[in-house]
Amino acid sequence: MPDSARIYKLIIKRFRGIETLEWTPALGMNVLLGGGDTGKSTILDALRLLLHPSNHVSVSEFDYWKRQHDDEFAIEAIISLPDSTEIGHQQKFAWPWQWNGHEAVVPSVDEGGAEDSEPVYRIRAIGTTDLEMSWEIVQPNEETNSLSAAVRRKIGVVRLTNDTRNDRDLRLVYGSALDRLVADPALRGRLGRRLSEIDLQTELGDDSIAALATLDNTLAAEQLPHNLALGLTSSQGLSIGALTGLVATDSSGTQLPLASWGSGTRRMVTLQIAKATEANTRITIIDEIERGLEPYRLRNLTHSLLNDGVQGFITTHSAVAISAMADAHLWYLDSGGQIGELQGADIARQQQRDAETFLAKLAVICEGVTEMGFLSVLLERGIEGDYRNYGIHLADGKGNDSTLALLKSLNGAGLQFAGFADDEGRDPGQWRDLKASMGHRLFQWPDQCCSEEAVIGTIGDENLHLLLRDDDGDLIGDRMRTLATRIGSQTKTLEAIEESCTRNDMTLRQLIIEAATGKAPDCLERPQRKEWKAHAKQWFKSELGGRELACHMFRLGGWPALKSILLPHVNAIRLVVELPEIENIRNG
Amino acid sequence: MGDDEIAELLDSPERLVTVSAPAGCGKTYQGALYAARALANLNRGRVLILTHTHAACNVFASATSSVSARVEIKTLDAFIVEIARIYHRPLDLPSDPAAWAQGQDGDFAVIAERVAGLLVSRPMVATALARRYPVIIGDEHQDSSSAQHQLMMSLHSAGTVMRLFGDRMQTLYGNKTAAERQADQVRWDELGDKGKIGTLSNPHRWHDGSVDLGRWILRAREALENGEAVDLREPLPEGLGVIRVENRSQRHNDFWLNPDDRRPIDAKINRLPSMLVLSRNNDTVKSLRVFWNRRYSIWEGHTRYALTELLSALELDCGNVVALANATVSFLQKTCKGFANRSHADRFLREAREGCISSARGKPALLQAMAKELVDRPNHIGVSRCLQLLNRFVSEEAGGFTEIKIDYRREFRDAVSLGDFSDSSIALREINRRRAFIRPMPPGKALSTIHKAKGMECDHAIIMPCDRKSFSNSAISRCLLYVALSRAKRSLTLIVPHDDPSPLLILD
Repeated sequence: MPDSARIYKLIIKRFRGIETLEWTPALGMNVLLGGGDTGKSTILDALRLLLHPSNHVSVSEFDYWKRQHDDEFAIEAIISLPDSTEIGHQQKFAWPWQWNGHEAVVPSVDEGGAEDSEPVYRIRAIGTTDLEMSWEIVQPNEETNSLSAAVRRKIGVVRLTNDTRNDRDLRLVYGSALDRLVADPALRGRLGRRLSEIDLQTELGDDSIAALATLDNTLAAEQLPHNLALGLTSSQGLSIGALTGLVATDSSGTQLPLASWGSGTRRMVTLQIAKATEANTRITIIDEIERGLEPYRLRNLTHSLLNDGVQGFITTHSAVAISAMADAHLWYLDSGGQIGELQGADIARQQQRDAETFLAKLAVICEGVTEMGFLSVLLERGIEGDYRNYGIHLADGKGNDSTLALLKSLNGAGLQFAGFADDEGRDPGQWRDLKASMGHRLFQWPDQCCSEEAVIGTIGDENLHLLLRDDDGDLIGDRMRTLATRIGSQTKTLEAIEESCTRNDMTLRQLIIEAATGKAPDCLERPQRKEWKAHAKQWFKSELGGRELACHMFRLGGWPALKSILLPHVNAIRLVVELPEIENIRNG
Repeated sequence: MGDDEIAELLDSPERLVTVSAPAGCGKTYQGALYAARALANLNRGRVLILTHTHAACNVFASATSSVSARVEIKTLDAFIVEIARIYHRPLDLPSDPAAWAQGQDGDFAVIAERVAGLLVSRPMVATALARRYPVIIGDEHQDSSSAQHQLMMSLHSAGTVMRLFGDRMQTLYGNKTAAERQADQVRWDELGDKGKIGTLSNPHRWHDGSVDLGRWILRAREALENGEAVDLREPLPEGLGVIRVENRSQRHNDFWLNPDDRRPIDAKINRLPSMLVLSRNNDTVKSLRVFWNRRYSIWEGHTRYALTELLSALELDCGNVVALANATVSFLQKTCKGFANRSHADRFLREAREGCISSARGKPALLQAMAKELVDRPNHIGVSRCLQLLNRFVSEEAGGFTEIKIDYRREFRDAVSLGDFSDSSIALREINRRRAFIRPMPPGKALSTIHKAKGMECDHAIIMPCDRKSFSNSAISRCLLYVALSRAKRSLTLIVPHDDPSPLLILD
């Protein structure tokens, strides 16, 4: 284990909208996800407060759960700290605990041969009932001692808030990134002395001198302090440090404070300042990493963060950021304050392919492109307005098995999501478990059926030929060819194919289903098998194809038969986006 | 080795240095100077000085007072108890191990063993401590138990630069068995194997006293260490004197002289502005107080054996009048003269037993009043009020109490102050705390056991009696004799009988 500042566990009690939360974050980069006001920023603010570099911090009743400040709020972390933070050099010694993988335990003697693990400390910030903050360290005998601001200042919290005006880290404020970079505690004093040497009197105009002289006489007459002059006086609240900041010279030769640059640039600069200081005492906290940054700069920033090797806590609403965070850990915070990790190869793949899955209010994992197309038509008809505007996102699960895996991972993280899949007869137990947990949010065609088969099965014989025609009523040559190839007909007319079907003791419907699903008997040789499988592409195996299939269902009378199984799924989706249940979907 | 060589060795990058330090050779001075130099070279962390006694804390505190707050001085027991307090749960100890140990007759050995076990099996705790204390100076290492030694070594393994001072000839504490003495030998060998050893040889203590005496004491030390006897034949160095007189008392550990015999001793004490009279046995010290008609007080040191016993009785028998009355009697007999069974204690106990119902006058009435306090409040407050009453009777010279003398006044006062606390265990902690901070020093002329004089220095000392009973030919006696010999810097007088003198002395 590296000897560095890492948060092993975070426990929040009664802070703002979070009544209780226990989280074991990863020691690397953590990306917090969750739609809307679910407390992601509250978690980051809690971390910031816990590691706040000074004791001057104001809390208001809004920082207390339900605004009830007659009870304390507490933010506690189990944290490893390098010696350079001076954690072991406070007046009272901070005694180490031991991290057992789940919590801090008191190191014991009798676990014969158990490995010595990294020492950790329990630190805590308390919002008292008097609306004041206090910081303490919890000793292994549960005694508490105060945790000095000096130690907290040594933990370099790089904090990019979502407050666009924040430029604290570009100024010489105690504990700021610039302060840590300059690392010269006596600088402020020297600057103060230099400033006090400026003779302000010479700057005054004649009128001003006369006005001062009059006042001087008046004060003297009133026996008040007199012999007046202008000088620099200290004032509360405005320090020399706060007035001192980084300036840069632009192309025209003008010196401008970095604080006046755009928010994206300011954030990039802040991170670079922070990176110039020791990595092992740094913890990075960034709210809305995408703020002010174009996709290319955002990608650069995320890569640079990941390569930095420090622990980070990031929120984002940007798909670009999520897909660039390949090695980061994704966490999902649900509205109930539960936090779960999105982990596994399937999640990582999805992160690369379709990061929006993790940003939607409701992601629907569809088994394939057909199902995406099919469901999009269903939702266009079943939800008033554009379903996307409700935060519903359809994602391609890329096949039955990987869809199952992804759904299971999402289910484990507590994410709000839905699924739309075929029943290929594999892993019935796992699908059953998912169904039990997801209810109607998971749709699966019944009886080992797929979308094509289910829909085509509901279309009357008299309308079957319409599946072979385009919008203008002309036969689609590529589809006819797939049928002819399969039935062994030389002629690609509908009549010839129907005749062959009769000869082969097969219905046209069966033939269409086999072609549309790309069925290929095992007896075929490889190249031919491949060709037969590819037949599906000529039919509905594309997003457009899926849409067409759904349109056929509505136009050709399939809906009444499928309504009883499809409508509950649509209603389950409506429920998530807070729309009332409906009785039917307009047909035709 | 010269002082400069020792300083050079201490400053060397060697991570473990042991300095063999005969008494009065400037060990504290060297240690304190080294602490200052070590601190100047530390970017971060503190220098920790660990001693065995509060008295030694006191000495180091005054020697290093100019250095900084980054030098911490504490007793090894206090250091160990602090670790035990923090990790009391896995060590299977109560949350206040110090009070617990006091209840176990002040036995810190169990705590030390468990804490050493923790540091050995959990190097991370030792590492954290080693970062806070990159340099540790261990004083009087010869007095460390195996567990304490192990603990120091685990800190050394965790990265602490260890500087140990010690003198095998000043090993006193505990009645060590042959096996334990063997373990001590192994430990000194280990210190030599793992690090470097230096020896102080400049008798600084005597530079403004009798330099000859200082050199003679170093030679005496060598003789005692090598299993030989101390040569007391003429010519004796300046300041050293031998008075040959017979102890006339027949009682065990008691001391009495014929008027003629005592004259030279009295003359010596009267002539000198200060004097420390050293005896091996506690009872001899008490009898010497009588011998000088209570003119000189007994140096009580920093331990409170009688008070500790009284407190453990309070813990165990709170509410039990008879048991507390017995504990009170036992305390009084250890700290006072004259509260004998026949004259006072028997009646006192009877009153406590019977609930103070009989009518009485005179001395029995006063004893009844004392017992009544216990009957009314069979707890630490009752005991405190009972002792307070006795103190009043003694100071008012009430009838029947004139022959009672309080010998251990500090201990007695501490016991009375128990009544100021709501709880006896809190009281003990507070009394210990005060004692650690106040660090009292003995008065100008005082009587002391050799044990309690260890670590102290004085101008003039008398060792009496130097008979076979006090100093036989045993390892522990050799150490005790050396400690006694090495206290005084101007004059040292040995009171030796003609009849059966100590075999450790070569006489005419």
